[in-house]
Amino acid sequence: MRDGPEQITLRQWDQRYQQLQKAGIDQPSYGGPLSRHIEDGDTRLLKLRYDNSAAALRLWNFLLTEEDRLHEARDRGKKIVGTMKDLGTVPVMAYSLDNVVAFYPDGAWWIPCVMELNAGLLSIADSLGIDESFCPVRAMLGAFVTGAHFPIPELLICSVGATCDDFSAIAQRLNSLGYPMLWWEIPHRRAPEPGEESVKLPGGFSAPRCQVEFVKSELQRVRKALEEFAGQCLSDEKLSAGIKKANQVRRLLAQLRRLVFTAGLCPMPALEMLIAEMLAIHFCSDRDETITVVKELLDEGKKRIKAGTGLLGADAARIFWVNPVADLQVMNLLEDCGGRICGTEYMFTHALDAIPQDLPPMDALARMALADPMVGSSADRASRICAEIRRFDAEAVVISRIPGASHCVLEGQIIGEIVQAEFDVPVLEIEVPSLTDSIAQALRTRLEALVETVRERRKR
Amino acid sequence: MTTLCDQMRRGFDVLIRRCNVPSFLMNVPSTWQNLVAQNLYADELKRLGRFLVRLGGESPTLDSLAEVMLEYEAARQAIRASRAYLSARQYAEAIAALGQEGPSLGGKIENRKSKIEIAPRVPLAIIGGPLMRPDFDIYDVVEQSGGRIVLDATETGERGMCGPFDRRRVREDPLAELANAYFGGIRDASRRPNSELYGWLAHELAARAVRGIIFRRYVWCDTWHAELQQMKESTELPVLDIDVAGDAETERQRWQNRIRAFLETLK
Repeated sequence: MRDGPEQITLRQWDQRYQQLQKAGIDQPSYGGPLSRHIEDGDTRLLKLRYDNSAAALRLWNFLLTEEDRLHEARDRGKKIVGTMKDLGTVPVMAYSLDNVVAFYPDGAWWIPCVMELNAGLLSIADSLGIDESFCPVRAMLGAFVTGAHFPIPELLICSVGATCDDFSAIAQRLNSLGYPMLWWEIPHRRAPEPGEESVKLPGGFSAPRCQVEFVKSELQRVRKALEEFAGQCLSDEKLSAGIKKANQVRRLLAQLRRLVFTAGLCPMPALEMLIAEMLAIHFCSDRDETITVVKELLDEGKKRIKAGTGLLGADAARIFWVNPVADLQVMNLLEDCGGRICGTEYMFTHALDAIPQDLPPMDALARMALADPMVGSSADRASRICAEIRRFDAEAVVISRIPGASHCVLEGQIIGEIVQAEFDVPVLEIEVPSLTDSIAQALRTRLEALVETVRERRKR
Repeated sequence: MTTLCDQMRRGFDVLIRRCNVPSFLMNVPSTWQNLVAQNLYADELKRLGRFLVRLGGESPTLDSLAEVMLEYEAARQAIRASRAYLSARQYAEAIAALGQEGPSLGGKIENRKSKIEIAPRVPLAIIGGPLMRPDFDIYDVVEQSGGRIVLDATETGERGMCGPFDRRRVREDPLAELANAYFGGIRDASRRPNSELYGWLAHELAARAVRGIIFRRYVWCDTWHAELQQMKESTELPVLDIDVAGDAETERQRWQNRIRAFLETLK
């Protein structure tokens, strides 16, 4: 087995694991061979290809042991809050309390993929009237009903308003099944009108001051609920410390993204980068460990660049990817087809931007919540995508639709039009279900055609 | 347009890219249990007012706003009072006309004094999103099949009419009362939580002795689609799910036949 960067299968990881162990790899408490997760039913892992670094091993083990971590936290007396939909804001508040752990039950949308539908979560959602016309996040309903995938949180906090209809409807269905919910309103972000005070948001969008104030008042309700839940005061000082810590994660991820997306030779594959970015939203239930995991990935990337090594070949087509994929295997597929990820917009860029530390904390958090790319117009979202395409010099864009997701019906077209008008780069819109096996060939053909187009255009 | 669903928000995005007609996207909150949500709604009404003024409209005095509100209130009361005298289609048309033509319609409704003669029919409710004018045929089909819509809980029906105004508050602060009656008085599936809708339905379904529900939804409307199962569970009434996507004749045939079959089972 090679020591240099390589993408390997789960079975190959067993050998690689032995090799690393012999070399004296430092393992965290949740460490171990990746193949053991198959016993939990995560059979999709057998079909993925992984980066072969110790940093990637730690990342995957961290991700795949989250459920255990949540149970352990509860056993240690910590309180568990389920934060829903806002993707990044409320966990910053929750983790500012020392006896609360927050996670997104929304993450259950990947269970049908990871367990290859064997968990039966979608069938449960069907039986509750939430069929395949809804986004795969409907798997969350099944996860609550079975109680087999995460400890049921004592408190659920869900953002609604300018959120996707699927999620709002599914969360309401959950509520109707007897799970109490604290709803908070996130309004549709709009541009300030003449005469209105404008506030700059993290990431570059603007909003009228009155919207920031409104969101702040909503987050105050959330703050009060968290205080009652935790039985302790969530002071400005605690919030500021929480923001500082969250920014530590965000800064590391920003460095990692810049390093990977701009390197001549790709130092870290798309799949690991997707997982790493996801850590920003609720720190995979352990904020300090998230910092360590991302640091290791960053160090590995730097090491590879310094050594002039990497993956995928120097001529890989530089692809900007919009929306997360319901089937993780598609990230591998893009690379098989000759592409590499150079820029992403996985619907939570606001969880990657630094939260202002020079403002009162609630003001800063309100600005962050309003910076969510999904709560504004599609044109806003496209403008941010354009800025990132420019920054990372992407040569093509893939807009990956989520089946059944209400926002995907129209926004892809608008984003595609705006991107093409600005850059004249090819844009491909695909739909990625939880398992792509039956359409893998068609997807491959389309992605190969995109890569070919990029390479042809280089000859111009 | 409003922000009540993703489809409308994204539809607005398309609209402003495709045409130059001045457009306004009104933020309608989903939450309702806190005063701040209603205040946001009231602020949006003011913003809408400023938008209309920019287009050449004139800002009304508080007195003139109150007058218009009371005219509408009278028209709504007249329509509600006439329900027993109108067929379901006429009732729906009266509500639609109020929206399109304004409160001058009220007098026309008041002229009806005798209850319509109807043979014994199965009392039904129709529940769901908005109906377009051509969709009003559904009321006729129900009647021809031996039923009668006694509760029109579509968005364009009775459910979409705002709550009654408090006359004293109309005089004191008309805009606040306007916000209160519309934001606080319309029970919709998009509300979080949606408990108001079910509370209202439970009361109305019982009061009108409804025996079955026609649940009419658009295939792309997740908000209503997700209510279907809860509707069945909470009302414990037979529910006919009709999903529509457009105005194709085949689709019409399908729902006509299904309504006939539904009513046969209820007779």
